Amino acid sequence: MKLTPPQIENLYAFTRQHYVEHYDLQTELVDHLANDIESVWQTQTSLSFEDARDKAFKKFGVFGFMDVLERRQKAMNKRYFKYLWTELKQWFTFPKLITTLALFFGIYLGLSTIFAKSFLIGLFVIICVFTIYKSTQLNRQFKQRKALSNKKWMLEEIIFKQAGGSAIILLTQLPQWYNFSDNIFDNPYIVFAVSIFSTLFCLWMYISFEVIPNKAEQLLNETYPEFCL
Amino acid sequence: MYVCNMANSKLYKGSLTTIILKLLNESEKMYGYEMTQKVKAITKGELNITEGALYPALHKLEAEGLLDVEVKKVDNRLRKYYKLTEKGNKETVSKLEELKDYIKTMETFMSPKFSLD
Repeated sequence: MKLTPPQIENLYAFTRQHYVEHYDLQTELVDHLANDIESVWQTQTSLSFEDARDKAFKKFGVFGFMDVLERRQKAMNKRYFKYLWTELKQWFTFPKLITTLALFFGIYLGLSTIFAKSFLIGLFVIICVFTIYKSTQLNRQFKQRKALSNKKWMLEEIIFKQAGGSAIILLTQLPQWYNFSDNIFDNPYIVFAVSIFSTLFCLWMYISFEVIPNKAEQLLNETYPEFCL
Repeated sequence: MYVCNMANSKLYKGSLTTIILKLLNESEKMYGYEMTQKVKAITKGELNITEGALYPALHKLEAEGLLDVEVKKVDNRLRKYYKLTEKGNKETVSKLEELKDYIKTMETFMSPKFSLD
């Protein structure tokens, strides 16, 4: 006996109830449960759909789909950082290298003046404002995309909702920077190191909030070619 | 990770990747449920891959570029098939060699040949 389309829909709803919100993973789990239910029905023909479904679900263990979900998220985050890294590397080759160097020297010069501390704080305040503005914009875009397709993709959520996540934690440390000693920027090695860090940080923010979301369609097609998005 | 003969289940841990690669090496493409059933059939029920272990392993191999995926509509639903990439084929050869060496070493260890030389 084969499952009917309403029963397949029920399985999609069932995975959603068990915290699997992304269509790519839902599809795989629905097919697995459906196969198992059909297999159970071969020996226990009188078993109801719900009972067979619960029986199939129990085989996933006490944590249900959680383990599969967590590991999938981990693998997808790894993929996202791979995309991020690929983009970052491009800023160290021509012609983008010119922008990177200009940014680095700009920051280096700013930090070599007597206003180094204010310059650094000003720079990170600008990044902070950019981050908040882009986060809001990307969140809105994500909602619009979801409303259009009614499907959620794990990579799409990472691109639009988790962009620069760890950077925001770093920016919350900003008030503590006021405690920096002014003399710290007298040391050229520190100026050099802070300039490198700030350049990389600016690039990282720009790539995760601007470059990657603009390439979302291409990256999603690359990640889920099987679904022909 | 596995439900099998519980006394020795730990011995099978860490071999899941090799099992998946070997299965895919023998068929053109397979889907998750098919893999669990094939392992059960080959080992006559001795080894049972749990769903909670299989899918994370498949997704990891996919992320590493060892597996390629394709989706087809079968019986009112979409089915995700996995197949080996070129990198996956190379990795299969290497993993199987590694496993053979391990088995050989363990066999030597379990039944050593003593000599008076």
